Amino acid sequence: MTPGLKNAAHEEIIMKFNWFHLMPYRWLPEDFRERYHGVWVDLPNSLYDPERGHTLYNEYLDMLEYADQSGFDAIGVNEHHQNGYGLMPSPNLMAAALARRTSNAMILVLGNSIALYNPPTRVAEEFAMLDVISGGRLIAGFPVGTPMDVNYCYGQNPVTLREKYREAHDLILKAWQAREPFAWNGKYTKLRYVNLWPQPIQKPHPPIWIPGTGSIETWDFCAELGYNYSYLSFSGYKRARKVLDGYWERMAALGKEPNPYSCTFFQQICVSDTDEACEREWWPHVNYFFNKCLHLYPGMMGPPGYMTEASVRAGVVAQAGNTSLNMGGNKSWKELVDGGYIIAGSPATVRQQVEELARSLRCGHLGVALHIGSAPMELTNRSTYLFANEVIPHVRSIWNDWEDHWWPKALPANKREQPGSHNAAVQARAERPTEVIA
Amino acid sequence: MSETPRSTLLNLGTGRPAVQVLEAGDGSPLLFLHGAGGIAAWEGVLPLLSSKHHVYAPLLPGFGQSTGLEYLEDQFDLFLHGFDVIEALGLERPYVVGESLGGWMAAEMAALRPDKIGRLALAAPVGLWRDEAPVVDLFGSMAHELAPYLFHDMTCAAAQRMLGLTQLFSNKDDRTQEQIETLIGMSRGFRTVAKFLFPIPESGLERRLWRIKAPTLIVWGEQDRFISPMYADIFREKIASAEVVKIPNAGHLIGLEMPEPYAKALIEWGK
Repeated sequence: MTPGLKNAAHEEIIMKFNWFHLMPYRWLPEDFRERYHGVWVDLPNSLYDPERGHTLYNEYLDMLEYADQSGFDAIGVNEHHQNGYGLMPSPNLMAAALARRTSNAMILVLGNSIALYNPPTRVAEEFAMLDVISGGRLIAGFPVGTPMDVNYCYGQNPVTLREKYREAHDLILKAWQAREPFAWNGKYTKLRYVNLWPQPIQKPHPPIWIPGTGSIETWDFCAELGYNYSYLSFSGYKRARKVLDGYWERMAALGKEPNPYSCTFFQQICVSDTDEACEREWWPHVNYFFNKCLHLYPGMMGPPGYMTEASVRAGVVAQAGNTSLNMGGNKSWKELVDGGYIIAGSPATVRQQVEELARSLRCGHLGVALHIGSAPMELTNRSTYLFANEVIPHVRSIWNDWEDHWWPKALPANKREQPGSHNAAVQARAERPTEVIA
Repeated sequence: MSETPRSTLLNLGTGRPAVQVLEAGDGSPLLFLHGAGGIAAWEGVLPLLSSKHHVYAPLLPGFGQSTGLEYLEDQFDLFLHGFDVIEALGLERPYVVGESLGGWMAAEMAALRPDKIGRLALAAPVGLWRDEAPVVDLFGSMAHELAPYLFHDMTCAAAQRMLGLTQLFSNKDDRTQEQIETLIGMSRGFRTVAKFLFPIPESGLERRLWRIKAPTLIVWGEQDRFISPMYADIFREKIASAEVVKIPNAGHLIGLEMPEPYAKALIEWGK
């Protein structure tokens, strides 16, 4: 662990930084954009080499473990399917691996697309397992899921998706809290006996974060149930301002306190020794991300019924859709930096912009994507190191007058099991020579 | 001949859909069940049919002024809704013509209650599936990419009109209020289609086809690239009294592309 730094304990009221991985495939071909209509859903898996994948998964998990060792407050994974820039169909497998190899950082799974799981109690069970294994370090994310993932890859009906999502949510929440078996007669799930073993450590349940892309329905859902709203965007903090202004206005209209910790924003960030070095070192990988990983096919981004009619109307009128243009395609390094798509440069440059980000968006939680596109191990860990040591300590205390209700209530560090410690404790006795009875 | 249809709103009662019905012509009744695009105008095959028949064309909830999709939770509700409309219109064992989505619905209804449908004509209906001839994904393409699958001749007036309409889907901010309403109306209709057909438009019709008693005409465009004409043979094999007519130089939207020979076959079948 880096001297002088520590992960946030839950009672500390400080801005939290979670190190978030997308796990992109690193070897999409040069002519990728010309040959394929998108990075998702129907991209031929002949492009994927499992032996390279073996190295990649292990490097990526190492990066997340290093983030834990460097003092990040949380490490994060998410769920995508049939996707060249998101190699985590099962984020829970990754979280399980991390739970056993880390013991400080909270584990953010953002999340499980709960309408996909049949029955949804599977998610309640797996999240409970993660919470118990990790000593209560789990943050549970419940995305509706992108159309590409839930409709085109997993065949969910876009018209009934949100209703099914809501029912799955209600079932999971009840399953986590009930202390007696109960029957669930839902429209989408019918279970005679719901009786969760194990139960999560955190009571009444792990904190719930809802990732969204700016719809009012999701804001209202978070406000109604007191969940953290995690705004996901690849277009950066400057373009997010309008959306999050809308979020805070909506919270005010609903009579909710403007607590910065109710809001998470995700930002891609590169830190190098100098601004010049940053461009030189990171541009190939940033370019790979914005022009290959975000090569999305518009025909699979909006199936009929996925959005409510109100959101369709708002989208048509305001042109708020994620077109390739506003997602940062075909832009230069300077345009991406000036537009805030990425925060990049020396620690001093990044520090100033992160502070600007946090204050302008009013977010108490920042998800930082410090691995971008095709970035290799050393470059990523250097960026992680610089961010942890030369950025975080300077911006921690921005929101210290608000209470964070959205952070795990983990067991105290001294009560958390250290993976492997039990083997060590019994090793000498277990491996003693055979006793011969005379 | 191309008279303006009368439009009425059928109220089926509280907690049930309200149905806009377009009506035109005199003669024996013909119930027309539209495809996934709804009825944008009284054009193509419709005025030709109403020159010989009293055509009733109800719109599914989400299309035109019809509302109440939320009351139709699954396909079974949808088919029963079809019978409710027949009853509300006072039709007895009508001649039912269904196109694509409407053809599937008509076939399912005729299999569900064979005694309630007098005659049947199915124009390139969805509802069956063979891995070797997958139905084109209506929900996973851009609108302008779909058009070539729907028409044989992209230079025909109807195809050009559709291409013009699909321009509305591209991202631009200079749409008129009328165009915005058109766009939202279209997305509302597609929502209805997706509710019943996403992601694959097949849910067991094939094992029910034997129950159809009505004399059934299967019509297919010879150049249909949306649903292969090979499906016509399966319908003919599985429905006892089925005949097949294939229309030359027609794609999937036969009623817009080749209305005359298509109308002739339908009118002949209705005699």
